[in-house]
Amino acid sequence: MNFLNKIIFFYYREYKLNMSGAQDILTNIIFFFISIFIFIFSIGPDKQTISIIGVGILWTLLLLSSTLSLRKFYQDDFENGNLIIMHLNGFSFGFIAILKTFSHFIFVQIPFLLSIPIACILLNVANDKLFYLFTSFGIGSLILSCFGSISSSMNLMNQRNFLLGSVIVMIFSVPIIIFSVGIINTEESFNSLINILFGILLIVFAINPWASGLCLKLSLENN
Amino acid sequence: MKFLVNPSKFNEMADYIFKPVLILSIILFAIGLLFSFYLSPDDYQQGSTVRIMYVHVPSAWLALLTYAIMTLYSIMALAFRIPFGFIFNTAVAPIGAVFTLICIISGSLWGKPMWGTWWVWDARLTSVAILFVIYLIIIFMNLSFENRIVREKVVAIFILVGSVNLPIVKFSVDWWNTLHQPATISKLSKPSIDPSMMTPLIIMTFAFIMIGIAIAILRIKTEIISRKSYLS
Amino acid sequence: MLIVKDLSVERIDKKIFENINLSLTPGNITILKGKNGSGKTTLLKAILNLIEPSFGSIFWKGKLLKRNFYDFYNHTTYIADTTSSLRKLTIKDNVNIWKKFFISNINDAQIETALKTLKLDNYLNKKVATLSFGEIKKLEFLRLIIENKKVWILDEPLSNLDEDSIELMKQTFEDHSSKEGSIIFSSHQNPGIYVTEEIEL
Repeated sequence: MNFLNKIIFFYYREYKLNMSGAQDILTNIIFFFISIFIFIFSIGPDKQTISIIGVGILWTLLLLSSTLSLRKFYQDDFENGNLIIMHLNGFSFGFIAILKTFSHFIFVQIPFLLSIPIACILLNVANDKLFYLFTSFGIGSLILSCFGSISSSMNLMNQRNFLLGSVIVMIFSVPIIIFSVGIINTEESFNSLINILFGILLIVFAINPWASGLCLKLSLENN
Repeated sequence: MKFLVNPSKFNEMADYIFKPVLILSIILFAIGLLFSFYLSPDDYQQGSTVRIMYVHVPSAWLALLTYAIMTLYSIMALAFRIPFGFIFNTAVAPIGAVFTLICIISGSLWGKPMWGTWWVWDARLTSVAILFVIYLIIIFMNLSFENRIVREKVVAIFILVGSVNLPIVKFSVDWWNTLHQPATISKLSKPSIDPSMMTPLIIMTFAFIMIGIAIAILRIKTEIISRKSYLS
Repeated sequence: MLIVKDLSVERIDKKIFENINLSLTPGNITILKGKNGSGKTTLLKAILNLIEPSFGSIFWKGKLLKRNFYDFYNHTTYIADTTSSLRKLTIKDNVNIWKKFFISNINDAQIETALKTLKLDNYLNKKVATLSFGEIKKLEFLRLIIENKKVWILDEPLSNLDEDSIELMKQTFEDHSSKEGSIIFSSHQNPGIYVTEEIEL
């Protein structure tokens, strides 16, 4: 029971922290929408073209804007010592990684999920595709959060070249993009593709606590 | 087999085999190039351009093989605490990157006359390009961390996570029906390649392996010397 | 309770410290003295099982610390040389988060008196980022009272404090040690705090 309380108050803490910096999340979303505008300006306002490549654009921009906030994934807690305090409070490093991943999913990815309908209107995506977009992004963004956790924990000690973290997330997200866009464009194979996406999610879920936990421990040891 | 995991044993072994390996690779290259340019027939469809295969296929195999060996060494280094794995990873990553680059360049030189374009976005080409980027990330990671212990372990973890790409590269041609021809040589079935082309291909593969080993020995020895004071 | 035996830690090419012996019994105050870079923080981290020692071993309640560290953590407050309070939030929020996160059994009145003795009670609704460094450091010590644990491990607790606060820390330490608590703290000099054991690094 104590442990459950600790988890609840971990999220209470994350909530307080994210709400005090709510403008950061909003800036992310503004970045997302401005990139949509720029995309449309650069390819011209032809409705036919936009509706063909709209879903692809949406996914690319979601990926790019969610990698923007990766820097703060562990860095703040690492620098002010909160990671050690959480560990001393009974969470193993792998478990901290799981909690943080869900926190990133809730406070960074869910706002994007909520802004998808507006983006769909802007990009002329058909209404019946909205459901597929939601399911694929729901699963895909959780996978992205896991990759974000792995790459930002890897780069905790890397002060010189932080962009490497974003590159790592993007290189791993290639199969996710392939399958997620595939879900939307070929609706008859919805089930098989969503199964593959789920499979990837489970694999990444299994890797994430191990890899992130190891990297966190390593960085704390040598800090 | 201790020389595969022990730096000082490796050094002894390397002094012993470096010259034979180098000479062997030169001889094999001479024979292989002779075979592939003069003694093997033209393809009845592809004409003379088929000779690009004798560079393209060995380098593709070696790019994958290098990554697979790096994965094995990462597992050894992380799970069994063998520091030689870290040395190996740091030293060998650029070699793999070069093999991948040779594979990509020769492939696009082959693709221009055959498919009419330098680059196609099909599964195998894309996944090999990703393999190349992964190699580059490994090299950049090796350059950008201050702390050596953190760096080598993080790189090993990255190699392990990135090894997911290997089966995708290998089987992409079978899974997706694409422009790139499926593998013509496999152990399970009779190869669909003519023996007259098979011979130079195998000779060239061994030549590539030998030159790879020779460069790897040099690089690993440099790496061992550069951290001599820590190993003792 | 805590016994450190022949502890040595090595990094890549150099020894940081070797053959440290110390034991922590109830009512015991230990000071680690040493110059900058002599490995005080490293030793504290090794005691907290965050760093694996090269040689030697640490025992907690008769068992190896490695096997038993969550039980050790349940009895330990660690204050690092960095301040863990969240800069974007007010003091009140920080205290609330700590109180809930550590499942504290301290009531509000006690916390209020503690805040008053630390002279922070006027800034309750101020953001931590607007406080001075010494005040943030003092806020950090509130965790000692909120967590209410037996073993205190403090990294450089006396740096950046004025004389009044150091006097206050002195009293707090003596109070804690008289309540069967034990303290390890690191400092480059001892400003007259009563210690039972002194270790030079």
